[in-house]
Amino acid sequence: MDGGHAENAWSSYLPRRTLRHYTKKSRINVVTNNNVPRIAIAGGGLMGRLLAWRLSRQGLDITLFEAGDLSTPGGACWTAAGMISPLSELVHSDRKIYQLGRRSLALWLDWAAELESLSGRPVEFRSAGSLLVAHGQDRSELSQFRRELAGKLSGDISAHLQTLDAAELQQLEPALENFEHGLYLRGEGDINNRRLLPVLLSVLRQQGVSLRERTPVACDSYRVEHQEGKSQFDCVIDCRGLGARDQVEGLRGVRGEVLVVETREVALRRPVRLLHPRYQLYAVPRSDGRTVIGATEIESDDMSPISVRSTMELSTALYSLHPAFAEARIVETRVNCRPATMDNMPYIHSEPGLLRVNGLYRHGYLLAPALAEKVEKIITEQLLQVA
Amino acid sequence: MTEQLNLYGSAFDSRLLVGTALYPSPAIMRESVEASGSEIITLSLRRQNPEQQQGKMLWDYIRDSGCQLLPNTAGCKTPREAIALAEMSREIFQTDWLKLEVIGDDYNLQPDPYGLIEAARELVRRGFKVLPYCTDDLVVCRKLLDVGCEVLMPWGAPIGTGQGLLNRYNLQTLRERLPKVPLIIDAGIGAPSQAAEAMEMGFDAVLLNTAIAKAQNPVLMARAFRLAVEAGRSAYSAGLMLKRQTASPSTPTLDMPFWQQADTAFQD
Repeated sequence: MDGGHAENAWSSYLPRRTLRHYTKKSRINVVTNNNVPRIAIAGGGLMGRLLAWRLSRQGLDITLFEAGDLSTPGGACWTAAGMISPLSELVHSDRKIYQLGRRSLALWLDWAAELESLSGRPVEFRSAGSLLVAHGQDRSELSQFRRELAGKLSGDISAHLQTLDAAELQQLEPALENFEHGLYLRGEGDINNRRLLPVLLSVLRQQGVSLRERTPVACDSYRVEHQEGKSQFDCVIDCRGLGARDQVEGLRGVRGEVLVVETREVALRRPVRLLHPRYQLYAVPRSDGRTVIGATEIESDDMSPISVRSTMELSTALYSLHPAFAEARIVETRVNCRPATMDNMPYIHSEPGLLRVNGLYRHGYLLAPALAEKVEKIITEQLLQVA
Repeated sequence: MTEQLNLYGSAFDSRLLVGTALYPSPAIMRESVEASGSEIITLSLRRQNPEQQQGKMLWDYIRDSGCQLLPNTAGCKTPREAIALAEMSREIFQTDWLKLEVIGDDYNLQPDPYGLIEAARELVRRGFKVLPYCTDDLVVCRKLLDVGCEVLMPWGAPIGTGQGLLNRYNLQTLRERLPKVPLIIDAGIGAPSQAAEAMEMGFDAVLLNTAIAKAQNPVLMARAFRLAVEAGRSAYSAGLMLKRQTASPSTPTLDMPFWQQADTAFQD
């Protein structure tokens, strides 16, 4: 992107008068490129990429720093199954997560289409709802889920959720022939993160975002420190997840383990969750015949390979979903730690010249667009305030 | 009555012990612990790869509550496993208190009495203050006392079921036959009324986790359990009335002719 184009875009973004004031003042303490504010984003995970895209789209001059490789992100975003499930998550989290999730789902619908048209490649966003099933002896788990959801949504939940008998269940998801009961959650979706993240990267390249891989940084107000020294910016956004653990109070890693299996014998059409009193499992089908199976949740900042026990639990639960999964091949195991705050809520901290976004926990794809939207707003206000 | 709970030479005001697992978040866990008024909290190292100290962040957060920590050996199936985890917990949490679990059945997480007694004997020898999670079997309980346990924690029902006191007869027997031993009902309590029931029966305390952690409002439920345990204990101390077949009005019925009152009295 050339400077002139960026300036025009940014000019239309800020009220004209304000922009003039802003640029006048900014000459004193910050480095600007043809009057276009320069923003540093630290952390090339989902949050960092989305923000880099959204802000560069507004005409801001973006530099994205990533400690590892952008082609194979080291963060939880690469490990995740990419579910966007505001309803399922509401049962064990705050109502705010649900509201942000609903907003994200709406944004994904537009953003996925836009990213696909910009890149010419699919991101496989799907809003086909999701299914909850339980075996006969654990049927009360479904009622419990229903009850908790009704409690959290305080009222009528029939718009969100439909109870299915065996026939309805099979019609919706033929592979689930061993189940007598299920719940269909309408407002849920998922996105193929292994397609989305490379697509975002190529769109960032197209938009002229400056990409600095293998560059670990420390973030400060108006300043990013790296091996080669310090760089000045109009604002720094720290999205480093666990990489920012010393800067975010109470930030901890919550270990998650995932299996990826491949089979032609059984195919799901949408994310399915199996409810069990002790083991939780979700299975998210991909277009290439693979299914992502997850996920454990262990209170430990432990990146070591998947344990035998977790492998057994996940595969036993998967086998109980459909016996044909027994012959599926385990093509990949993934382990990562989710960055979480002590209240398991997303964290946005803002001070002049510095924003920190963190704590997306197990809700990366559920929350990132809605949070990106909030951050966009904060950045605009910050830049306006300088004026 | 404000008689304190005495366990291994330490005195506590609260008779409610709570677990720290399954909460929606650590912050809600800590708030719930506060609301419960508990002074003893259990926690588990299991699956956290403790050698690497990678769960430290959360452990420190729990430690900050100021409560007596009661590390458990949840999920251990053999004495050897339980002893190894106990040693690790003692080192990490700097306490020799231990809730000993040796599980004999995977599905209902029923204690294995043989493994439990064997592990308890060894852990007492190693200087642990062992609080064994056991069934309500009198003989098993006696053996645990024989090997040096000073506190017993019989189940009300299997872990996480919320079924309450499934075998009142066995529990009553334990209470009557072991009158001086601190007995804590551990596991199976689903509702505050069940906790109150255990306390009314004369049990010394109640330990629970799921009923609070999985409530839609854990903090409020923690408070409900605190009140229930206090109510049950007060009722036990105050002396419960015996059940009667015939109604006896608590207010004298002045408008009723006295000979009719006499009639009812004679029928008693």
